[in-house]
Amino acid sequence: MRTLIFPYHKIPAGGPRSALLIDVLKFLLVIGGITWLMVRGTDMLGYNWQWYRVPQYLFSFENNQLKAGPLLDGLMVTFYISGFSLLLALVFGLTTALLRMSNSFLATALARGYLEIIRNTPLLVQLFLIYFVLGPILGIDRLFSAVLALSLFEGAYASEIFRAGIVSVHKGQWEAAYSLGLSSRDTYSRIILPQAIRRILPPLTGQAISLVKDSALVSTIAIYDLTMRGQEIIADTYLAFEIWFTIAGIYLVITVTLSTLVNRMENRFRVAI
Amino acid sequence: MPEKMLGNDIITADKINKTFPNEVQALCDFSTRVRRREVLVIIGPSGSGKSTFLRCLNGLEEIDSGSIVIDGVPLDHKKENRLEIRKEVGMVFQLFNLFPHLTVLDNVSLAQRLVRKKSKKEASETSMELLRKVGIPEKANTFPNHLSGGQQQRVAIARALAMMPKVMLFDEATSALDPEMIGEVLEVMKNLAQEGMTMIVVTHEMGFAREVGDRMIFMEEGEIVEEGSPDQLFTNPKKERTGLFLSQIL
Repeated sequence: MRTLIFPYHKIPAGGPRSALLIDVLKFLLVIGGITWLMVRGTDMLGYNWQWYRVPQYLFSFENNQLKAGPLLDGLMVTFYISGFSLLLALVFGLTTALLRMSNSFLATALARGYLEIIRNTPLLVQLFLIYFVLGPILGIDRLFSAVLALSLFEGAYASEIFRAGIVSVHKGQWEAAYSLGLSSRDTYSRIILPQAIRRILPPLTGQAISLVKDSALVSTIAIYDLTMRGQEIIADTYLAFEIWFTIAGIYLVITVTLSTLVNRMENRFRVAI
Repeated sequence: MPEKMLGNDIITADKINKTFPNEVQALCDFSTRVRRREVLVIIGPSGSGKSTFLRCLNGLEEIDSGSIVIDGVPLDHKKENRLEIRKEVGMVFQLFNLFPHLTVLDNVSLAQRLVRKKSKKEASETSMELLRKVGIPEKANTFPNHLSGGQQQRVAIARALAMMPKVMLFDEATSALDPEMIGEVLEVMKNLAQEGMTMIVVTHEMGFAREVGDRMIFMEEGEIVEEGSPDQLFTNPKKERTGLFLSQIL
């Protein structure tokens, strides 16, 4: 029998611990390289780094009390919009997935129409349409327009994730549930969805992370989220590099936290199967 | 074994036809009646329509024409009738189909609570009793994937029994099992038959068929080729095809 040995399956003589050490060294080397390039690049531009001016935009001390700066204020708005949009997107997603899998022609057509329209037009255009066109007609405000646009957009993608997860549950599970006399609703809620959720969770996390990032677009309709606050500060201070790096860092912290949390949840869900 | 007293008809299947979307005709004017306490064994080559017949009986497949009446309830397009029939007809599948995210106890209890509206305590008591009956009360709190195939199938039987069905359908219940585990499942089925459960059993276990079956149907291409007592079919088949099939699998 021929055995294939791939180089990355080889463990160095020192064992797994030295493998980890080598990985860390490689990582530091890459980061070091990038930093060096950055520093050299900005030196050549003659950019004057003023990191010391950044903290005041995050928080400040007034009368011995910690006060949130504009960036943290913006972050709260981002949280608010992303949180509500995420909840609504899950509702839209699950509903659309169930409609799409139903036997009714109307329901399927409705779901498909929604999916095609949302997935084939840019989010920015949808946002403008909802805010500038639907907004005045339906009398919805800026913040709600933003939440609606984001949740409709991410909901379309979430629905495909839900659908794939539901379809992936073995046919025998439906049959066993039906043969016991369970209603369709009980079958979904007690048998199918609990099994599908494990498979749905990782791609759904990806979608939630996209949502947080896409929420930066709401700055275009003058909502004072994290991104909008950043632009405002830069317009005042010309601290373009420092502020954009800070903002990118904040988004990174949110998304990494989110995926770590979900990873934990997945481990807890992984009882059987 | 003393002669069993059979009751009146509980299942009436009249001229049922079923053609799958791929043009395969699985059932062709298939008619039969099953009496209370009767054990009907159905044999036949693969693709002969025996599983399809079982699946039609509890509405997992829709029939194209004909009628099915179970204990006075017609299996038609009415949702209530369909649910009513599914409550009264238990089914055991070839691949067990246990719910992997629930413990053994919850597998057995779930439908009692959701469909029969029993309290949690009541359902658990019934479930434990049934698990004792199939011989695995000690596995109540384990998850199905920690059980052997034979144990899983016994849980599946307990799960179906928990609904207190009037009829039990067994769709090749031992075909997916390792040989050494077939016996334990057949034993449970044998006990059920002795208690007077009405059963329709699709199987390749001829020893079981002969010992437990009251009547046997040999079918091929969606039709009944021959029907009679198992002894008669084994020792004195009237049709050449029946004898040929039995000689191939015995």
